[in-house]
Amino acid sequence: MNFDHIDIVQSLIDGVLFGSVYALVGLGFTLIFGAMHKLNLAYAASSIAGAYIGLASITIFAVPTVIAFLVGPLAAGLVGLLIYISCFQFMPRNNMLAPLMASIGALFFIDELIIDKTAGSPITFPVLLPDAYFPVGEFGFRGDLLFVTFASFVLMGVIVFMLYRTKMGLATRAASQQPVASLLCGIPTHRTNSTVFVLAGVLGGVAGCLAAAAVGVLSPLLTLPLTVKGLIVAVIGGLGSIRGAIAAGFMIGALENLFLLFRGVNERDIYVFLVLFLFLVVRPNGIFGTSIDRD
Amino acid sequence: MLKLTNLAKYFGGVRAVDGLDMQINKGEIFGLIGPNGSGKSTTVNLICGVFPQTAGTIELDNVDLGRLAPHQRIEFGVSRTFQNIRLFGDLTVWQNLWVAWRDAPGHETSWLVNWFGSPADRRHEIQKLLEFSGLGDRADRPASSLSFGEQRRLELARAMASKPKLILLDEPAAGMNSEEVADLRNRILTMKNLGMTVLLVEHVMDLVMSVTDRITVLNFGKPIAEGTPLEIQNNEMVQEAYFGSAKNVEAGN
Amino acid sequence: MEYYLGITQTIGVHTLLGLSAYVLLLTGQLSLAQVGFFAIGSYVSGILTVIFGWHILPALLVGALVAGFFAFLVGFPALRVKGLMLVVATIAFSEIVRLVFFNVNWRVEVNGLEVGPDSTQGFREIRYFAANGWEQAHVVLLIWLIVILVMVLLWWLDKVRAGAVLRAVGEDELAAQSSGVNLTMVKVAAMTGGGVIAGIAGGLFAHSTTYVDHHTFSILLATFAVSYPILGGLKNVLGTLMAVIFIQGFIIEGLRFMGDYRNILFGLLIIVAMNFRPQGLVDGNFTSDLRKLLRMNQKRGGIDA
Ligand SMILES: Nc1ncnc2c1ncn2[C@@H]1O[C@H](COP(=O)(O)OP(=O)(O)OP(=O)(O)O)[C@@H](O)[C@H]1O
Ligand SMILES: [Mg+2]
Repeated sequence: MNFDHIDIVQSLIDGVLFGSVYALVGLGFTLIFGAMHKLNLAYAASSIAGAYIGLASITIFAVPTVIAFLVGPLAAGLVGLLIYISCFQFMPRNNMLAPLMASIGALFFIDELIIDKTAGSPITFPVLLPDAYFPVGEFGFRGDLLFVTFASFVLMGVIVFMLYRTKMGLATRAASQQPVASLLCGIPTHRTNSTVFVLAGVLGGVAGCLAAAAVGVLSPLLTLPLTVKGLIVAVIGGLGSIRGAIAAGFMIGALENLFLLFRGVNERDIYVFLVLFLFLVVRPNGIFGTSIDRD
Repeated sequence: MLKLTNLAKYFGGVRAVDGLDMQINKGEIFGLIGPNGSGKSTTVNLICGVFPQTAGTIELDNVDLGRLAPHQRIEFGVSRTFQNIRLFGDLTVWQNLWVAWRDAPGHETSWLVNWFGSPADRRHEIQKLLEFSGLGDRADRPASSLSFGEQRRLELARAMASKPKLILLDEPAAGMNSEEVADLRNRILTMKNLGMTVLLVEHVMDLVMSVTDRITVLNFGKPIAEGTPLEIQNNEMVQEAYFGSAKNVEAGN
Repeated sequence: MEYYLGITQTIGVHTLLGLSAYVLLLTGQLSLAQVGFFAIGSYVSGILTVIFGWHILPALLVGALVAGFFAFLVGFPALRVKGLMLVVATIAFSEIVRLVFFNVNWRVEVNGLEVGPDSTQGFREIRYFAANGWEQAHVVLLIWLIVILVMVLLWWLDKVRAGAVLRAVGEDELAAQSSGVNLTMVKVAAMTGGGVIAGIAGGLFAHSTTYVDHHTFSILLATFAVSYPILGGLKNVLGTLMAVIFIQGFIIEGLRFMGDYRNILFGLLIIVAMNFRPQGLVDGNFTSDLRKLLRMNQKRGGIDA
């Protein structure tokens, strides 16, 4: 098969733009990992749940679309908090399995609840800026994807600001590095942790809404792929690395679209996973990771 | 027996060990002391192969250990204890020794027995080691249920279970009361009598000074003095390294 | 009757799957790759009986060995990634296997019928048992013989030094290494053993249900596989069996009348269980708790009288 450069570049453009959704989800995983050194596997599910709640606010209370885009992330933040309380807060600090399993339980719970409430069928989601399209030479930028990317950048900026320029952020970073010592210093680690879960949840809610708007439908089938892609992004970026997650998100978005173009939808993800393995072998600590690990 | 030549380990910019030359003779109790963060544990970790050295060589009886994996170094007769006790807490006391067990040279059993033999095959020998460690009646308790002093003794016994020629003790007296330290002193001397060579990393000076044959003092990863306990006690540089900061504080006041 | 035999089959296959994850958990490896090995076992043994007309037993064996071989290969890179990274890496492995079989098309004509893996349509008509006059009861018997064999083997393993070494690695890799344990060998061996067990489970599953497709090998199944030993606890193999009976027998089948709600319930159950028993349902405290509970009841009885 022959692909001209226009196809390739165009699919790269779309991929990178859509990659911002992955970047957001990966960022959420990485934030939570950074704060607690634990994985919250229910994270992507909470994002989708947020999007559903946003959607419900349209269909049930007939709120304007813009409001739904606020309701969704806020609801996702709340779900994040609930996940923290139910799966993380009361677990022994050095037990890795229990919270991981509990968060898998939460993933099932959320997923099955959605399937139960929607009878498992996809629902159309209001499309953002349906007609916006910006042709640039031979290529074009989809307006909704541009908006998604723009919104992601703003959010990432907010997160970085909060972590590095506010007292809360300082406390969070301290708690992440020395949980016991910070507790002794009077840092309420439960509060910093739950704040991170809420923040990450909001991020995920935005990602969920944006992804649903870009795709045009919302379906419980989105949960697992979004979970897996988010994890891949967080790992390739280096668990706990913010800039790593962002870079990896765009990279995976772009690569995925290229694989789609060259190998088709059935094989696309195989290559994405192979990229992950490549990183695990060559750069196990992530794109920007160092190789020093303390014992 | 053990010869470190120009040994170095850098963690990024931190030079934890920086050009260490050291030679331990067979049958010696050798002390390694120095202020906190001077690179003592790092030296032990390097000898055991926890991480590769940045530079230099580690030789045991003229065998280059430098490239070997940690478990291979055990086969050459090196074993250790940890500064902060690392037992297999959910295993029983005697299973802790079972895992580390190696038959004495010349009395090896087949690997089949070694891996798939039943506890009965080993019970007797391991019980003897437990009695020696004062843990005879603790054999079937989970290791995590032992008291602090007992855990220290169990870790020591585990290090001995592999029949080492050279045993590395990383602050074995930390957190012990004077009675326990006295007991430890006897144990270390017994090890020497059993023909083991001992490298003792320790902050408890009474113990170090009374038990070692020779001592190397580390500061900032570099050896600053070497000699008998008496020589070290009277060495000004050593006092400076240990108490220098205290003097400065006094001077400041 | 057939219904109960069906449940017994499922419980048997899931017990094997859970045990394969159990072996790895002993060494501290949380692997979601088990479903990948399961898939390999089911496709390989299915192809052998369907396309090559093999007897079921050698087909199961070869399926298990091939799965074990891939597990062996996975074992080495898996050494480089620990803890949560291993979780992600093994998810990726299982997904790759699933997607590869999603694309495998190998149709041949056997006795005038076109059979074999049909890419996206899955692998259907794995009808060895029906074609050779096995009754369902025989199939159940075969499955459970294998389950019991594996359980006895693992039980025995825990009684010899090898078992203690596995657990030592799971507790503290550095201390184990410093006690002379060859970490690479132990972890790769555990991965291989787990792969073999999962491979048998896959072969049994494919033949007893007569078809598999990419839905079968979802991350969901991998999650089930690890949740059994985690819920059951790592004290011994019985915990895993009990967890399977509880989840597959009680939650999934027993509560069938609740429809979709039992899946929701399943999620809630895991959350609750992990909060109250982070070490698993059958941990070291289990027997003492049980004793305490009994004693409490006795006391109550005394006061009442
Ligand atoms: N794995 C590691 N990664 C990075 N830095 C390390 C690591 N291990 C040790 N260091 C650093 O190397 C230096 C020497 O540490 P080491 O533990 O060897 O000191 P020590 O002499 O044993 O001190 P102490 O008496 O407190 O036990 C310290 O600055 C320490 O922070
Ligand atoms: Mg030290």
